[in-house]
Amino acid sequence: MSGARKPQCVVVGAGPAGLGAALAAREAGLRDVMLVERDFELGGILPQCIHDGFGSMVFGQVLTGPQYAQRYIDRVEKAGVEVKLNTMVLEMAPDRRMTLVNSREGIYDIEPASIVLAMGCRERTRHQVMIPGYRPAGVICAGAAQRDINIDGLMPGRRVVILGSGDIGLIMARRFTLEGAEVEGVYELMDHPGGLTRNVVQCLHDYDIPLHLSHTVAFIHGRKRVEAVTVAAVDGNLKPIKESERLVPCDALVLSVGLIPENELSKQAGVELDPVTSGPVVDERMETSVEGIFACGNVVSVFDLVDWVTRTAETAGRAAAEYVLEGRKRGAVVRVNPGRNVKFVVPQVVGSLDRGADFYFRVEHPERAVRAMVLAGGGEVYSRKAKMVRPPEMVHAGIDAVAGSGKVLDVTVEVVEEEGGASKKKKRGRR
Amino acid sequence: MNAVKLPSRAGLVVVGGGVIGCSIAREASRYTPDIVVLEKESDVSCGTSKANNAEVHSGIGEDAGTLKQKLNVRGNQLYDGFVQGLGVELKRQGLLIVVTQRTVPAGGTSGLGEDERMDILTRKIPEGIIAYGENAGIKGLRALTREEVFRTEPNVTREAVAGVFDPTYGLISPYKLTIALAEHAVINGARVFTDTEVTGFRVEDGEVKAVITGRGEIATSLVVNAAGVFADDVADMAGAGGFVIHPRKGASLLFDRQVTAEYVHSSVAEFRMPGTRTTQSKGGGAMPTAEGNLQLGPTAIETGDKYDTSISAEEIEEIFERFHYLLPDFPRDALISAFSGVRAPTEEEDFVIGASEAVRGFVNVAGIQSPGLASAPAIAEMVLGILQDLGLPRDARGDFNPVRPAPPKFSELSHAERNRLIREDPRWGHVICRCETVTEKEVVNAIHGIVPATNMDAVKRRTRTGMGRCQGGFCHDRVAAILARELGIPITAVTKDGEGSPIFLGFAKDFLGGEAV
Repeated sequence: MSGARKPQCVVVGAGPAGLGAALAAREAGLRDVMLVERDFELGGILPQCIHDGFGSMVFGQVLTGPQYAQRYIDRVEKAGVEVKLNTMVLEMAPDRRMTLVNSREGIYDIEPASIVLAMGCRERTRHQVMIPGYRPAGVICAGAAQRDINIDGLMPGRRVVILGSGDIGLIMARRFTLEGAEVEGVYELMDHPGGLTRNVVQCLHDYDIPLHLSHTVAFIHGRKRVEAVTVAAVDGNLKPIKESERLVPCDALVLSVGLIPENELSKQAGVELDPVTSGPVVDERMETSVEGIFACGNVVSVFDLVDWVTRTAETAGRAAAEYVLEGRKRGAVVRVNPGRNVKFVVPQVVGSLDRGADFYFRVEHPERAVRAMVLAGGGEVYSRKAKMVRPPEMVHAGIDAVAGSGKVLDVTVEVVEEEGGASKKKKRGRR
Repeated sequence: MNAVKLPSRAGLVVVGGGVIGCSIAREASRYTPDIVVLEKESDVSCGTSKANNAEVHSGIGEDAGTLKQKLNVRGNQLYDGFVQGLGVELKRQGLLIVVTQRTVPAGGTSGLGEDERMDILTRKIPEGIIAYGENAGIKGLRALTREEVFRTEPNVTREAVAGVFDPTYGLISPYKLTIALAEHAVINGARVFTDTEVTGFRVEDGEVKAVITGRGEIATSLVVNAAGVFADDVADMAGAGGFVIHPRKGASLLFDRQVTAEYVHSSVAEFRMPGTRTTQSKGGGAMPTAEGNLQLGPTAIETGDKYDTSISAEEIEEIFERFHYLLPDFPRDALISAFSGVRAPTEEEDFVIGASEAVRGFVNVAGIQSPGLASAPAIAEMVLGILQDLGLPRDARGDFNPVRPAPPKFSELSHAERNRLIREDPRWGHVICRCETVTEKEVVNAIHGIVPATNMDAVKRRTRTGMGRCQGGFCHDRVAAILARELGIPITAVTKDGEGSPIFLGFAKDFLGGEAV
């Protein structure tokens, strides 16, 4: 297929990650950037996120989702990125050949010089968290409900129980309430909320919606449409306690039980995935294990703030441009070790720190008065105090250029207790 | 939903639009077009037929001498011809029966020497299974060594010591088959009425005269009762009963196709010594579905409720535990769906097929539980004979159309074929369901099909929308919108599976108006 078009860069997915990456690749000098989106509009999930809280880092302003998206859509269009809407990537091979389909052009192959994966994530469903019961209408994921209400103006429930206190669940508790539905309560399996503290306050407390920690939905009742759910407290193994079961009449169960990066195409292309994040293993330039294929945003790891998504997108887009224009390739890499109280780190590998790097990580358990540290080759290259770290909140460590880092053999990211200067030095000294 | 008027009379009325009712209707349509199928749900294949493990059994799991085994063995042999022209694929993937170390435990109470035990496990049991099967008329059975077991199925337990391979086992999508049979019957003149519940019969002088429904009466002298778990109730309405269905639930787990496609290639079951069975289930197995997902199950639980299609936490756990031994590393996390079906056993645990002695013209086809799907062709053949004895025409029609055209499936076509279709109709290039790559045109085709899909589940069974890993999260609103557009109904009238199951409860603007709450 020598007749196939050969764009310099194809970005898959036009949410915040794809928009940011396409723009960055274009601004870094690529003439021919193609942005492929399977939906009918740009912006990904942002157009349905009509609440505010977006952009404080990138724009220094608090915007709604549509506003945040529109700023990027305007810039992408102005920059001359080729946008393909209603277009789906059917296949992607390790040699970067892709097969696309849309109504206008049919099926066709392209052979891009570089690819940026920006497919985002999807919601975990009822059966992935194994909720027993019937299978009636009215069991819906929070993001899907958000789309129904905010885009289509349709109510998937009148009397709602929400399972999961992730940010989308919390925001939807408020959203349903504002639209005239009744939210009976939010139930959370863990003993702490899954979402940002500000959302617990602004979405639940302000509207008197009860949050039941250490609870789950043990059964869904209703053959045709949800009629009720059985809720129950859970024990130390997160199993429902029979004696605590309570029947809650409702007509919808809204699930906010986690997000999974959408990596079906990445797998086709042979990209190595990280079992902890479920996203590609990337280096500090957001390049995956397959040369010339980069990734950014929620397809790499689910971020809690869109601003971080944009940051990774800019890194990926720039790196894709450098790969095409300058032939800059990933050198030998070292693993990044998740140290004390760190669940995972993106990037998972580092080729070089000579231009600096952004590390994003989540802690395993909440902790107060700590210090986030990055150690490279035994030396400390980043250290910052934090009053509080919590698993739902991604921690960012942006390190400056480290001269001579080509010889780095070992990178560790960790959170240590902040006990005053002396002990800090001691800890470092051990490294 | 269905406003079409019922006909005032019909040569044959089949009560129940499951795989059995539709098989009989299709076979009967070879002789007469004058057939009506009545289904109380909103689509065909809504009961037991839609929620089973999709297996075309060979008969090896049935008790010798039962009608079940006889019709199962015969049905399996008829299957290739039965599906010919229907556009539904039958995969003969075979069954691997695994004999493991625990089949006859070492030491302890058995008092067997180790050599003797291994001889039983690796020689006598396989030989016994083969002899039993051959005696029932099942051909091609062969014994496998331990190494051959692993070569056939690399993921089974290292505790396997031998096996038997039964190549006649098949897989077929039960709901696709049922829909295709219904459509094939319709192509040949039959009429299918959904949302139509039978409420009684008119019987005069010991002869059936009419079927009474919620939507009117159909005069007829021939009735087939293929009402599944409700067959006893339907028979009693006519005074043609005398058997009792005690509903028994079976739950299965279904896994992400992308993760599990190659996990097992055949149906895989563990052999258990006769008499050690703890439930009425044959024990279930691990198998790919007709479309490549891994499936585990089913359970067998007496429920007492013919509508009990729930699945309990205990059942989910039971299935995982049962198969953990057979497939130690199966990808538990890839679970995407769990479902239950209700089987229709009688007290005798055998099929009840025959003309009623009390009511002439009334034929019961009841107690059809597993292996009902496998037996369907043989059941239809047998029932046809009975109907012909009761007056159905015996001469095959000259104008019978042997082909039911299957609507094309985008995901199964070559790029060249896809391009041709997109040029014809751009809706072929518009992907609606991303997980299963289903296009707008396929959804439209389903809605306007020969047996039309009028709700979300009906579209799903025909196209796979919402069957993938996101379970409809990304496409439910789009499919609902297409249904509303094509059926000319408000989107708030779109249902999951018929009356009482709306997807949306209203428009947001109406909720705030106050009166809607």
